[in-house]
Amino acid sequence: MTQVRLVNVTRRYGKTTAVDRISADIADGEFVTLLGPSGCGKTTTLRMVAGLVEPSEGEIWFDDQMVNDVPTNRRHIGLAFQSHALFPHLTVARNVAFGLEVKGTPKEQIQQRVAEMLAMIEMSDYGDRLPAQLSGGQQQRVALARMLATDPRVLLFDEPLSALDRNLRDTLKYSILDLQRRSKKTAIYVTHDQSEAFAISDRIFVMHKGRIEQAGTQLDIYLRPESEFVANFVGDNNALHGTVTREVRDHDGQRRVEVESGGIRLLATDTGALRPGDRAIAFVRPETIEIVGDGEGRDDPYVVEGKVTQVVFEGPTVRLMVDADGTPLLVEIGGLPRLSLLDSDAKRIRLRPRSVSAVADRSAVPA
Amino acid sequence: MSVSTASTLSAEARPSPEPRRWLRPGAVIDVLAHAYVWFWLAVFAMPFLATLFYSLQASGGQGGFSLDAYVYVLGSFKDNLLLSFETTVATIIINLLIAVPAAYAIVRYPIPGKSFLLSFLNLSLYTPAAVMGMSLVIAYAYLFRIPQTITGLIAAYVVGTFPLMLVPIIVALRDLPITFEEAAKTLGANRAQSFLRIELPLLGPGISAGILLTFVIIFNEFLVTLFVAGPGTTTAALRVYTLTRTAGFQPSTAALATTMQLVSFLVVLLFFQVFGSRYLKGTYLI
Repeated sequence: MTQVRLVNVTRRYGKTTAVDRISADIADGEFVTLLGPSGCGKTTTLRMVAGLVEPSEGEIWFDDQMVNDVPTNRRHIGLAFQSHALFPHLTVARNVAFGLEVKGTPKEQIQQRVAEMLAMIEMSDYGDRLPAQLSGGQQQRVALARMLATDPRVLLFDEPLSALDRNLRDTLKYSILDLQRRSKKTAIYVTHDQSEAFAISDRIFVMHKGRIEQAGTQLDIYLRPESEFVANFVGDNNALHGTVTREVRDHDGQRRVEVESGGIRLLATDTGALRPGDRAIAFVRPETIEIVGDGEGRDDPYVVEGKVTQVVFEGPTVRLMVDADGTPLLVEIGGLPRLSLLDSDAKRIRLRPRSVSAVADRSAVPA
Repeated sequence: MSVSTASTLSAEARPSPEPRRWLRPGAVIDVLAHAYVWFWLAVFAMPFLATLFYSLQASGGQGGFSLDAYVYVLGSFKDNLLLSFETTVATIIINLLIAVPAAYAIVRYPIPGKSFLLSFLNLSLYTPAAVMGMSLVIAYAYLFRIPQTITGLIAAYVVGTFPLMLVPIIVALRDLPITFEEAAKTLGANRAQSFLRIELPLLGPGISAGILLTFVIIFNEFLVTLFVAGPGTTTAALRVYTLTRTAGFQPSTAALATTMQLVSFLVVLLFFQVFGSRYLKGTYLI
């Protein structure tokens, strides 16, 4: 059981900084995902934890041991590679046995453990095959078994599913989660795929330009983004640039801010410390916008009126583009009400945005 | 299943074929093309075939064939052939011991002036054998004091053929993704374990290519040997030369030459059967 701690970890390649003073505490048994676009430094961070890349600065701790100078082969980690990296000249069983063999584990114990591992991935009959004789999904499962066979302290995943097709990815990501839950091991998972990250993580670290932009649960990341990058990287979002007009105390005592953008007024959760007069960006998820019926909300200041400019039927949802006095809003409606919107093109409708969050607008150009 | 169905269908759909004319224009071109290739193969093989034919001549009498000459191969030429084998094997081993770590360092570590280094290491391939022979005689006589010894002979072969071992191993190592080494490390293997269990087996074809090239070149090496060999160190190739110079053309000499040719040919054939030609790219042979 291991706690992983990164303290100001930095990696530079020449003049470029791939990872920039990252600090993080990953609890024992926690499943953390590093999510970000390519080049954000997530893989470099993972490889530093694995010991395959040396940090330029900073410290990496496993429990109370500083592992900066511990070589990879003595860190007791398991790493799943993007290209499964099974040894092509060894059979499935020998691949799984490899970590135990180099440790000098007695033969009977190895056999027993290999059988156990192959049973776990439901590939007991495949021990004598060579990796090239397996399908992509089977190869990745063998790679998982190989990495778990040595009972590592920390599990590391470097986009292990990105080379597989979609159905397989969906099945395997839950297998990975299941394996991690059963083994109760600390896991760090790198991916650029938001749905993968949301499906399996306890916490998600969204990375951007070598830094952790936001660390939090799926809900934090999705509904309470702390920066424009996070809001836009994870799912669709309406980003409305405007000004904070006043602070509001909710009936439950929570502090909110009112943001005015164009002609639209929004009541938003404040993830920072916005003050009236500050420039701010308010984020509204398309699916958190409600349609307001004709009779209701006459005196609600936060109901927005606009004209529908586009209707797209996507099956389970209908997507509307609404022009609210010059501000384009993307709205996504699900369930039965969506069907009544199919002929709403060019009509005026009234909307109530819910779950709005606001952050300080640091971009120089006002919207 | 589907293939047979398709062919039946298309056969039904086709109108009944015209009776085949034997001398279609296409057939004539085919025959000419084959003849052309076989003609040149015959031209290339001619010297060898002549030697083979000569080695099978019955000694003394006119006409008739016999294998008498081959008795000498196992008799008075046995020591020469053995010496050729021994020096070849020794050279291959030394070459391997130098080339594998060298290739690893060149491919996996940042070395300033890498391309210059590689060109420099390949220099001996582009050195005329006579120049090499003379240089070695000078170096041996004045620096190392090993003229006319087996040590000198092997050292000369190592100098001359080292790049032939190095280049295929470099090619194979460049083709080998570094993830395998990294995976071995994460599984707890130290450098030696990872090298012996993972890299070395995966480099097998490249190393075999190096062994093949070194074998073919050294086993038949003659010119450099002529310079550095002494009275006790007559290799098979050198023996063929000296015998032809002193005793004229003898079927027994031809038998020795044929044996050498066959050994080399079989080794190459065997290699291509097992590994194909991929690992010989960037080397002398392809």
